[in-house]
Amino acid sequence: MPVGPSQTDDLGAWTEKVLPTNLSAVRETEREVLGLLRDLQYDEDHLFAVRLALEEALVNAMKHGNGFDPNLSVYVWYRATPERVEIRVADEGRGFDPGGVPDPTADENLERPCGRGIMLMRCYMDEVTFSREGNEVSMVKHRQP
Amino acid sequence: MHIETRREDECRVVTLRGSADINASAGLRETLLGAVEGGDTHIVCDLSGIDFICSDALGVLITAYLKARGRGGALYIAGPHDHLTEILETTRLNRLFRVYPDVSAAVASMRE
Repeated sequence: MPVGPSQTDDLGAWTEKVLPTNLSAVRETEREVLGLLRDLQYDEDHLFAVRLALEEALVNAMKHGNGFDPNLSVYVWYRATPERVEIRVADEGRGFDPGGVPDPTADENLERPCGRGIMLMRCYMDEVTFSREGNEVSMVKHRQP
Repeated sequence: MHIETRREDECRVVTLRGSADINASAGLRETLLGAVEGGDTHIVCDLSGIDFICSDALGVLITAYLKARGRGGALYIAGPHDHLTEILETTRLNRLFRVYPDVSAAVASMRE
């Protein structure tokens, strides 16, 4: 099991979820995170951005990370304050080099049907960082740009 | 996601409602590719009722577009709201798809 984020800083406690490698778990996780943000009165633009980034991270973890192996899990940690939301997603796969993904916006790649997930995460969140192994992504969205 | 299809002139209009998320992609793929393989090569995809789209669903639109184009047709996008328009611009897929404000405009363009 991946080591989760520290619970000891002053930005609030993390909620941890362990998901099966099953795409049906994606929607429920999004519902939980967006419910928290609605309670904190984040606007629709933020809700859309966080949902998109979370969906892409979860699908990447299940599809590319765990290879849809039902014996592997996906780990999610999230927390939010009125100022920012933080999400981490980790899988049990062998990782990858995010720098090796071709730019999907390049003319020669526009007709490729896949490869846009990481780009969308980077565009819609304020901070996106991958672990050295590439099997854990950390994302931050600030309420104010 | 709810999917409806209808004929309008020579076009197959595919109207989507709800969220085009990962769990909806299979149904979208089946509908769009089924339409192309069934002989509908001019397709208008009405996104006016869609509140969310993921990269996998975008990939389905691209695949259907390429298959339609390969058979001499096209796939046009109609009615995306602001968030979807922004995604099409961010991904530069607005350079690949022709995007219209509504189905009528898309069908009229295909007629030309």
